[in-house]
Amino acid sequence: MAFWVTTLIFVLCGVIASLILRLFCNKGPSTNLLHFTLAMTATVCCWMMWAIVYLAQLNPLIVPILSEE
Amino acid sequence: MSSDGNRSDAGGWCCPPMDLMRSEPMQLVQVIIPVESSRVAVSYLGDLGLLQFKDLNKDKTPFQRTYANQIKRCGEMARRLRFFKDQMAKAGISSSTLPDVVETPSDFDDLEVKLGELEAELTEINANNEKLQITYNELLEYILVLRKAGEFFFTAQNSAVTHQKIEEHRTADGSIETPLLAQDMLNDSKQINLGFVSGLVPKGKSIAFERILFRATRGNMFLKQSSIEDLVTNPVSGEKVAKNVFVVFYSGERAKAKILKICEVFGANLYPFTEDLEKQKKMSEEISGKIKELKITIDLGLARRDKLLKNISYQFEQWNNLARKEKAVYHTLNMFSYDVTKKCLVAEGWSPIFASAQIKNVLLKAKVDSNSQIGSIFQVLTTKESPPTYFQTNKFTTAFQDIVDAYGVAKYQEANPGVYTIITFPFLFAVMFGDWGHGICLLIATLYFVLKENKLSTQKLGDITEMIFGGRYVILMMALSSIYTGFIYNEFFSVPFEIFGKSAYACADVSCSDATTQGLVKVRPTYPFGVDPEWHGSRTELPFLNSLKMKLSILLGVAQMNLGIMMSYFNGSFFKNSLNIWYQFVPQMIFLNSLFGYLSLLIIMKWCTGSKADLYHIMIYMFLSPTDDLDENQLFNGQKSLQLVLLSLALISVPWMLFPKPLLLKKQHEERHQGQAYAMLQTTDSNTIQIEQDQTFNDHEEFEFSEIFVHQLIHTIEFVLGAVSNTASYLRLWALSLAHSELSSVFYEKVLILAWGYNNYAILAIGFIVFLCATIGVLLVMETLSAFLHALRLHWVEFQNKFYEGDGYKFAPFSFVSIPNEED
Repeated sequence: MAFWVTTLIFVLCGVIASLILRLFCNKGPSTNLLHFTLAMTATVCCWMMWAIVYLAQLNPLIVPILSEE
Repeated sequence: MSSDGNRSDAGGWCCPPMDLMRSEPMQLVQVIIPVESSRVAVSYLGDLGLLQFKDLNKDKTPFQRTYANQIKRCGEMARRLRFFKDQMAKAGISSSTLPDVVETPSDFDDLEVKLGELEAELTEINANNEKLQITYNELLEYILVLRKAGEFFFTAQNSAVTHQKIEEHRTADGSIETPLLAQDMLNDSKQINLGFVSGLVPKGKSIAFERILFRATRGNMFLKQSSIEDLVTNPVSGEKVAKNVFVVFYSGERAKAKILKICEVFGANLYPFTEDLEKQKKMSEEISGKIKELKITIDLGLARRDKLLKNISYQFEQWNNLARKEKAVYHTLNMFSYDVTKKCLVAEGWSPIFASAQIKNVLLKAKVDSNSQIGSIFQVLTTKESPPTYFQTNKFTTAFQDIVDAYGVAKYQEANPGVYTIITFPFLFAVMFGDWGHGICLLIATLYFVLKENKLSTQKLGDITEMIFGGRYVILMMALSSIYTGFIYNEFFSVPFEIFGKSAYACADVSCSDATTQGLVKVRPTYPFGVDPEWHGSRTELPFLNSLKMKLSILLGVAQMNLGIMMSYFNGSFFKNSLNIWYQFVPQMIFLNSLFGYLSLLIIMKWCTGSKADLYHIMIYMFLSPTDDLDENQLFNGQKSLQLVLLSLALISVPWMLFPKPLLLKKQHEERHQGQAYAMLQTTDSNTIQIEQDQTFNDHEEFEFSEIFVHQLIHTIEFVLGAVSNTASYLRLWALSLAHSELSSVFYEKVLILAWGYNNYAILAIGFIVFLCATIGVLLVMETLSAFLHALRLHWVEFQNKFYEGDGYKFAPFSFVSIPNEED
């Protein structure tokens, strides 16, 4: 559940970033497409990294065993 | 693949056009310029910087070209300018630009004349100054000789007088003989012919000088030397040397000749000296007066020269630029072919299609400015040659494009990996560097370069600083990504924080009795962002993180490789090469994803279900014994049959990649060749056949089926083996990330915490400094370079070998901006 919520947050961040780029750096259709591609790539990369780390900890097979100190 | 690159029909059915994705469409243009406006036209084209000229006179030597003479003149001007620069440097004047300057001659010939005049004037002033300086130094030496020699003659005379007085006293008591002897002595001395020379000799040679004089005159000489405390400027060489004043007394003409010769050899300067006190005083005064006059003259001379140089310095930069521009213009004009009958120059070159209007405007302006009656003609040529590749980059994207171009410049209009590199390169760097403390340090360092870029871009920086400055936006992106991955790995100089909520793990019971044996338990939902802070410092930290990072690397690697194969689809659809799409892209996708895509799926399913299945076992036995039961390695229903299907798909895709394409290429070639063969048979005229043959050889490369097949075989083997090796290669993301976090952890625990434990300020300070140096040297410099290099390798090899050909050449237009400074 928390996974999908956070995924939705990433999607929203991506959309907002694209909108901001479109509003402030509107330089023609081909340049806009480049900006959009870059924003999407960045969003996907960031989301993948977060999702992988999150899923890895969802059902852990080992737990932290504290060292004696 | 036509080279007029009309965008609308080439990229139609795939995707809308995107900046930077493909080279700008280029065209080969021919410009015919009348001779009188040629120089102006080329000069304006150089300002525009959008035309790459082809050398039409390649087989001519530099001396045979039309404008060789002008280039010689430009070379002469450049030499004069260099001479001025040297002179200005010697006089300590730097070239400055003042707004209220005299009008610079913007004409080439005027400038040449002016430079010639200035050079003559400057050399004359310099020669005069040198002569005056020599004379001045000689006079200074003369004064020293007068002074010192005067001293010994004075003391000698005094002692002679006292001796005489003693003698007189004695003789006054005396005998009969002595007065006569005294008279005789005086008479005799007049007949002896004692002469002397005086001068200066370098101190180092004075002992040898004395010895040789003694030997040459067989001891019949008297040398008196006295050293001078200050250094004297040697008139001829201008250096300051330590010298001695000497006076040599000799008798006889032959001795005199020998002594003069010896003085010449030793570089001793001789000056005339009189015994007479009165004359000495007069000489002294005269020479002092002359010295004063000379000094004033020399100072005036120097002032005049400095003024001249200062005037030059105001206009030096402009003249320099003008000279360089003219030279570049003439070199370019030499590349055009000269049509004698029509008195015009024909130029051929590549230019982007969008620049046509600008070029036409420039040519019109040149016609007007040069008062020419005839305008230039601009026409587009068609050719089968491959155009240069031109990407319009801004200050942000230039560095990323350079990274891609360093491996190979994109072929004309193929997909540019630079687009994705802008994001994925810093991202992969950050996966290997993940620490938000180090990321912040990197960010601060690079912000300095970014914020001061206006000032720094005009300065001349050292080599390494130049590289860092050029890559400032790359490093900025790397720093931002590192901060993000630092939060995910939860490392701030290797220290974790609980920023995003409470850790998911807690002790099993209140007393935490088995925390060090059984470990903690997961009591709360998964830590929402990143690695749980409880892991750091635990005994199972490494097994957990290793497993996490290795799987992360595989997943990221499979994703990037899939993107690479998708790019080959984009290329195939842009160039309308359906052969590449159906018989390369499709089998490659199937092969990669049925094996490593399936592995990725298994990883994710194992995480989602928490199963204890052994993925190594599953993958290996999928190949070794695919029909066996899975038992405890079962992750989902129907896994066995799915594995069988995927395995067979992978096996089919290998011959799918290998055989169809060469066979179909052969069929296509035969179809084209058939048509040509019929055309050749019909012509009977031998000349026409010759021309046709040449054309066929130009139109069709020779089609060797075996060569094509071997090429495809190599490509297939490379892909199949590469699928395994490249996927494993992505594990370097894990390896470097582990190294970084371990180093960081060691520096923190074994230096900082250790120093803290002593409770002593001095040790703490030392420990902190060691920590700082180690962090900067090892982690911020070495690890940055290391991660940069590995991220680069992953892009160049693992990502780009899926689709990139990179055998194009870069567009290098004739532009005054890009002309390098000759002194550099």
